[in-house]
Amino acid sequence: MATPEVAVPRDDLTGIKDGYEYGFHDSEEGYSFKAKKGLNRQVVEDISAHKDEPQWMLDFRLKALEHFEARPMPKWAGGHMDQIDFQNIHYFVRASEKQGRTWDEVPDDIKNTFDRLGIPEAERKFLAGVGAQYESEVVYHQVREDLEKQGVMFLDMDTALRDHEDLVREYWATVIPPNDNKLAALNSAVWSGGSFVYVPPGVHVEMPLQAYFRINTENMGQFERTLIIADEGSFVHYIEGCTAPQYTTDSLHSAVVEIIAKPSARVRYTTIQNWSHNVYNLVTKRAVAYENATMEWIDGNLGSKLTMKYPSIYLMGEGAHGEILSIAFAGAGQHQDAGGKAVHVAPNTTSTITSKSISKDGGRASYRGLLEIAPGAHGSRSKVVCDALLLDEDSRSDTYPTIRIGEDDVDVGHEATVSKIGEEQLFYLMSRGLTEEEASGMIVGGFIEPFTRELPMEYAVEMNRLIELQMEGSIG
Amino acid sequence: MGKSAAAASPSLAELRARAAQRFESIPMPVQKDKGWEFTSLERFDPSAYPAANGATTTAPAHQPVIAGAEIDLPAGVIAGSLAAAAEEHPELVQKHLGSLVADADKFSAQNTAEWEDGAFVYVPAGVRVPDPIVVSAVQGTPGTAMHWRSLIVLEEGAEATVAEQYMSGSEDLDAYFNPVTELIVGEGAKLEYLCVQDLSERSWILGTQRADVGRDAYLHWVGLGLGSGQGKLRMETDITGRGATARVTGAYVGHGNQHIDYDTTQEHAAPDTVSDLAFRGILRDRATSVWSGMIKVDPGAQRTDAFQESRNLLLSNGSHADAIPGLEIEANDVRCTHAATISKIDEDQVFYLMSRGLPRADAERLLVGGFLEVIAARLESSDTLREAVSAALERELETALA
Repeated sequence: MATPEVAVPRDDLTGIKDGYEYGFHDSEEGYSFKAKKGLNRQVVEDISAHKDEPQWMLDFRLKALEHFEARPMPKWAGGHMDQIDFQNIHYFVRASEKQGRTWDEVPDDIKNTFDRLGIPEAERKFLAGVGAQYESEVVYHQVREDLEKQGVMFLDMDTALRDHEDLVREYWATVIPPNDNKLAALNSAVWSGGSFVYVPPGVHVEMPLQAYFRINTENMGQFERTLIIADEGSFVHYIEGCTAPQYTTDSLHSAVVEIIAKPSARVRYTTIQNWSHNVYNLVTKRAVAYENATMEWIDGNLGSKLTMKYPSIYLMGEGAHGEILSIAFAGAGQHQDAGGKAVHVAPNTTSTITSKSISKDGGRASYRGLLEIAPGAHGSRSKVVCDALLLDEDSRSDTYPTIRIGEDDVDVGHEATVSKIGEEQLFYLMSRGLTEEEASGMIVGGFIEPFTRELPMEYAVEMNRLIELQMEGSIG
Repeated sequence: MGKSAAAASPSLAELRARAAQRFESIPMPVQKDKGWEFTSLERFDPSAYPAANGATTTAPAHQPVIAGAEIDLPAGVIAGSLAAAAEEHPELVQKHLGSLVADADKFSAQNTAEWEDGAFVYVPAGVRVPDPIVVSAVQGTPGTAMHWRSLIVLEEGAEATVAEQYMSGSEDLDAYFNPVTELIVGEGAKLEYLCVQDLSERSWILGTQRADVGRDAYLHWVGLGLGSGQGKLRMETDITGRGATARVTGAYVGHGNQHIDYDTTQEHAAPDTVSDLAFRGILRDRATSVWSGMIKVDPGAQRTDAFQESRNLLLSNGSHADAIPGLEIEANDVRCTHAATISKIDEDQVFYLMSRGLPRADAERLLVGGFLEVIAARLESSDTLREAVSAALERELETALA
């Protein structure tokens, strides 16, 4: 086996296999502002006033609210979204009035949460900076000094809007307009927090920038908004990882992420989504890539009740390249509706989409994708490969790719397979002394290895551990 | 004709009445509706095409793909007009008509309500029909609708080959062709069914064809899309019997302003079943195509082996192809695979052939011919049909590559 270390269960994990690992939550005492439940014009005006925003942003929010209210709820993906009660959500919670600059300034109970997620250790090891989103705003933010010297901005979005208004305004909502879809309209109306990254021309950020996101207040929606601008010839890797406390009623997470890769820039955006199993995770992520730029989405979906997320790349400049690597693990009660979109607008552009999904214990994993080559994008090439593993007879796997080609000088291929774990593979591993559970875990680990190998080492370790946890007790 | 058939059999009349209501109540599909995203009916109004009163016998505008011939039918085999069969064998027709296609969408409802005639083929248990049965539908009157209905029933262990072709009476006939086909393949039966759509390039086609493949049965279904201007044809295969196999083969050639839309499903409702679908398309000028294919595996349909592929060759810059393969899998012990490709002629292969002395045009024709030949080669049971299909594709390429 190529990855024999992947999936042998360890004794120290057996104690927590029944519970959600990060399912603790903190006391809500000490919150400085919490909007009433529900959504209307007043709530949007309050959010904007509370943040002391410029008029254009308030106007933008109100316009977006109109779009949100005017649009019908999407009916696809099994009609799950009808279950979301938008009036039963807190649209804004500020955990701490003051933005912490050092770890010491962060309030103790918040620190406690992050300690349990292991952020300080991670930072000590190799992080370039930590933007930790606790509730709706970033409370702790540090960019390493050498990055600051290079002119790299890694700020929470509220600060960026305050301190670099012109830069934010120039790119704001240029990739995902507020009327793009109903959830993007919602985010545009009530957004709070998220990251702003600007990398100046030619600067290579060697270490990944990462932000942790947390949902803590019951029934609180989290609507972060991230904007990444990689100027000409620059490189940046942004990592987003999610864990959330477990609650009994449903929470909504609806982010908007916009990325602009200017000529010859390269941006990699990595997500490990592990929301607790009651979160609706409805996210709009889109990137534009100009001449010879490269955009990479590395997207892992493990948690949430329903995820609907299709990271997109618009290849706008000749020679641009897009890469989407998506994995989904759907366990009991989960529906992972994930995928990716590549839209070739300029000639000689290339893209690959690789999707891997695992369904288990009645879970449903769907790949939904679009590959479009517009007239004029001659010489473009694309390949889409989807593989799905079904671990038991109660689970479900769907593949819904759409391919639209309006140009003859192209080379486009799509393939997908759905299967169960191969009996021969199991037999081989078990003949070497592994139990069926160990062997299955190892095969699943190998199946998603194209994803794990793209992760920074400590994430890969965490990822493998999560898969092990998910696989425990999988042999009936 | 249709009216008298309905009068003779109340249950058919009921079927018609219900379908007529459904046709009235179902709104016209718009591009926002699922499955209609890439085919517009904006310029189509079914009420603008009244049914042509009375059967018209018309000669097709060009040579039929398959020449019909007098054949000897084994005892008990029925092959002929559906309207006649509804009178002569009402129990057989009533038992099966509408069992697979009734009124699920607007256009199948219209056919069920208004069909005038069509083909009825019935092969009793254990009987093998050695020669292909050829059915031809020719639409002759401009500005009319033809609601053509075919019902093909193979009882247990029966074997037959049926070739059906849809044609127009003139090359520029502006008309609406509304077919429904039901293929019932009984336990252990073996059916090869070829359907050639060779309508005029100003025709609308909106139709549904559906097969039910029973236990240990075998179906090979071949669809050719050569003509028509716009519309959509559904080819739906239900694999309902354990151990059954369904092969579906399709080819389309579009040129000018043609828009060709095939919507296929392979639904596995029983364990140990196999399906294998292969479509190939060639598009030139401003022609567009849509192929949407869905493999569904129902809960409990373990050990399903399902495959689908759609391969498209774009020969001009204005042509456009959409491929929407899909998988919905609710059993786990399965092997389901699909593949879709859209590309132009491989320049390396053209270069190779030209280096052997062929002019570019010949090299391209050879490569396109080879691309489609794979489809004809899948027809294994009948040399006659294989040659007919080969010749039809060859003829179509002559036009498309001219």
